[in-house]
Amino acid sequence: MPRMETVQVTAPDLARRAALERSGQRLLLVAGGFALLFGAVAAKLTAATILFPLAPSKAETAPLIPADPGLATPDSSPTIADLHQPRATITDRNGQILAISLPMAALYANPREMIDPVDAARRIKAVLPRLDEALAIARLQSGKQFVYLEREITPSEELAINALGIPGIYFEPSEKRRYPLGRVAAQTLGGVDVDSHGVAGVEREFDKRLATDPRPLRLSIDVRVQAVMRDELEKSKEEFKAIGACGIVMDVNTGEVLAMVSLPDYDANQFGETPPDDRFNRAITGMYEPGSTFKLQTAAMALDFGTAHIWDEFDAAHNIRIGRFTITDYKGKHRMLYLPEVLAYSSNLGAAHIALGVGEQKQRLWLGAMGMFKPIPIELPEAGRPLYPPVSNWKEAATMTIGFGHGIAISPLHVVRATAAVANGGYVIQPTILARDPGDPIPERRIMTPATSDVIRKLMRLVVTDGYGKKADVEGYFVGGKTGTAEKVGAHGYRKHANVSAFMSVFPMNAPRYAVYFMLDDPQGNKETGGYSTAGQVSAPGAGRVIARIAPMLGLFPDTEHEAQIQAQLDIPLEPARGSGEPTGTGSPLLAAAMAETAAAPAAPPRHPLQALRHEAALIVSTRQADAATR
Amino acid sequence: MPVLSRSDPSVLGRWWWTVDRWTLFSVVALIGFGYILVLAASPAVAERIHQSRDIFILKQVVFLAISGALMVGVSLLSPRNIRRLALAGCALALVLTALTLVHGVEIKGARRWIALPGLSLQPSEFLKPCFAVVSAWLLTEAGGKSGLARVRGTVAAFVIFAMILALLQSQPDIGMLTVITTVFFAQLFVQGMNLAFAGMGVAGMIGAAIGAYAIFPHVRSRVTRFLHPGQGDHYQVDTALQAFANGGLLGRGPGEGRVKDLLPDAHADFVFAVAGEEFGLLVCLLILGVFGFIVLRGLLRLIQETDEFVILAASGLLTGFGLQAFVNMASSLHLIPTKGMTLPFISYGGSSALSVALGLGMLLALTRRRTHGDPS
Repeated sequence: MPRMETVQVTAPDLARRAALERSGQRLLLVAGGFALLFGAVAAKLTAATILFPLAPSKAETAPLIPADPGLATPDSSPTIADLHQPRATITDRNGQILAISLPMAALYANPREMIDPVDAARRIKAVLPRLDEALAIARLQSGKQFVYLEREITPSEELAINALGIPGIYFEPSEKRRYPLGRVAAQTLGGVDVDSHGVAGVEREFDKRLATDPRPLRLSIDVRVQAVMRDELEKSKEEFKAIGACGIVMDVNTGEVLAMVSLPDYDANQFGETPPDDRFNRAITGMYEPGSTFKLQTAAMALDFGTAHIWDEFDAAHNIRIGRFTITDYKGKHRMLYLPEVLAYSSNLGAAHIALGVGEQKQRLWLGAMGMFKPIPIELPEAGRPLYPPVSNWKEAATMTIGFGHGIAISPLHVVRATAAVANGGYVIQPTILARDPGDPIPERRIMTPATSDVIRKLMRLVVTDGYGKKADVEGYFVGGKTGTAEKVGAHGYRKHANVSAFMSVFPMNAPRYAVYFMLDDPQGNKETGGYSTAGQVSAPGAGRVIARIAPMLGLFPDTEHEAQIQAQLDIPLEPARGSGEPTGTGSPLLAAAMAETAAAPAAPPRHPLQALRHEAALIVSTRQADAATR
Repeated sequence: MPVLSRSDPSVLGRWWWTVDRWTLFSVVALIGFGYILVLAASPAVAERIHQSRDIFILKQVVFLAISGALMVGVSLLSPRNIRRLALAGCALALVLTALTLVHGVEIKGARRWIALPGLSLQPSEFLKPCFAVVSAWLLTEAGGKSGLARVRGTVAAFVIFAMILALLQSQPDIGMLTVITTVFFAQLFVQGMNLAFAGMGVAGMIGAAIGAYAIFPHVRSRVTRFLHPGQGDHYQVDTALQAFANGGLLGRGPGEGRVKDLLPDAHADFVFAVAGEEFGLLVCLLILGVFGFIVLRGLLRLIQETDEFVILAASGLLTGFGLQAFVNMASSLHLIPTKGMTLPFISYGGSSALSVALGLGMLLALTRRRTHGDPS
């Protein structure tokens, strides 16, 4: 019989065993929970390190050596271009650099990552002595996530600050705009702000283009011509103690501006610190009465509209009294003058009579077509708005005074453009600050018949050979031109002894190439000029010197061999015989266009056919190839 | 380590043959990692706070040495003495924690520290291990074996727990509060708490978490940033994740890391990121493995344990230790919202190392092999 063994277990002991068993299960659960938690950490750890690692920040992968802006091409590596594309270089027409962006770095910080702002500022200051430490500390303690500390630091400063190893300090590629030629074309180039956005001149006008297209922007400016013009203006300005001066050289066939100088000027690198008066570009922003240079326009419109002939005589013997004004001649001849004499002796009375013959409507038609009522359409934001009488006030008196260039204020470039039009065969051209490529269409329109232009060219030559412009002549270049002395308008009407003296010339007159404008603002006569500060005395010599110096640079050589022959072609008698010379006054393109406009719009509300075409925009624009030889 | 004979009757000899040597070695390994990482992370930090680098490192070396000695010393004690130590420690820590509210050093908007010469002490750090032992004692055998006595003990445990909660939320120290709450809850759970109560407890904790989210702005901002990665300032977490990414499998190499220069808390809260960047995935997994090994091995060994007090006390200590490690590592990996908590022995800091050493010393003491019925 098997022995039975019974194990007695007490009740509390049983309960204790049950409790222990339950604790064991619970411990297993807790252990399982921890296994899950640590497993999750292991999984996330693996993901964060090798499976899906976070990409490095952009600041870390940015190249330490900035790209060379001079070598930047459109097909350069896209990663570098994405990060920072330097602003395009600006060159003159021959590739000489006028504005270039140097690679710099901007120093910025994320104050939230900053551990000790005071210490950081102190250490950066040690490397960068120009840092405003107090300002830097204030910025670093601002609690923002992005503050600039210094916008322009050099690559070597960047390396030195980087070597400090301050957390929260970063660099971004930036650039500094430099104008290596300093004062050359300073007003034309303008400047950029701290973010490299253009704020004036070419920099502002072509801001987008310069920021997006890395190819150099080629201007029409020729720095050699620009330098000569500036040099001569400066000399004349000193000589005649003028307060300012302005000079323009423009290609009369293409409208390209080769030189545009406004004095006083400034170092373009000091744009921000320059007073506004110096930044003022007289060539396009300054509005001056054109004075006698306008007589060329009066003569041209009269001849082209057929309201005057070359042999017509005009009364220069009697002053004209109209309202409270009296029109007189300066050193007048006090007799009847033939049309060529009116220009040669710059007779206000003669010009007033010619203008009266044209009449105010045709005068406005002509001046409108010449763009005299609008800012000059050049690619510069500073182009100013001309001042002229409203139609309601444009009566006889205005017609007469405007006939000799008073009562209207336009920019020097307006004068240049209009003179180029009368000299180049009769085309009004859109001036440009950009170099035109050969073959580019030139926006222009015919404004007069070639015959009228021919006569005006002869008249311009006459002014230099026999009139007040003798001092501008340069042997072999057949300079033609017109003086213009206007009294400056002050706060209380005209100022008697303050002149704007300009000489508007074109050369060579037998086949015009370049227009040269030379103006002194408020010149004082000296012993050599006999105390006179008129354009013929103070500006014509300067214009002549400019022509003598720039013509060879531009590939034009004095033609002294055929001088007599060429001069014979340009000769026009001071007192032409009736019916002599080329016939003018038929087929005016302006009148034809005005008629066509009226005929084409019969349903339009009745308005004067000429009024309708006051503005050049309404007129036909023809294009032709730049072919100077044909003119 | 001197070779000790099994028959060596000395205190040290008996300790050597009865202590859980695997856990002991694991902790020694952690202290070793701690030395290496303090060498990696400290120079940058020392420079930042304008302290001599050598003194900075020396301090941590001394702290870790003291911690090791403290751990071994505590593990020599008998369970009864552990209980006494915990009771005294718990009382002292409670008083000191209360004192922080009056005389505390305010750092970053919280009063958790008491300035002592040489270090700032965070008394609540010591509350964590001591309370785990004290609560285990109160829950099991404080009042004797009778049913009524147990209820009395349990009530006493809850009262002390409530006091601790009140103190910590006025500091405020939500992280420590969460850890202590979780530890206490784990102990109740292991003790065999009714599952319905357990469910209620979990619900209560979730409710409290929502409450904290509603009441404390810094909690809200951290949770919002965690849930919506696109919003707000993610600098710390992004930098940490970038450090892990930079490290990859094998790391950039000792001293080659950058995160220590970028993050102000690189030597403490984000030390795991420093490890990841300089030593890579494998070493991080090794550190994680050591923590996991200590926690899991400890918990599983308790299944064989028969002493209820030891089970509860040890599971509480292990839960606290494991949770602290998890929160630190998971924070720097953006697995949970950032919570400033040190990685035991790896993070820089005296208070932290000493309190962890105290807890692990208690654990080692409680889990020493004892002959059945050993009265000690």
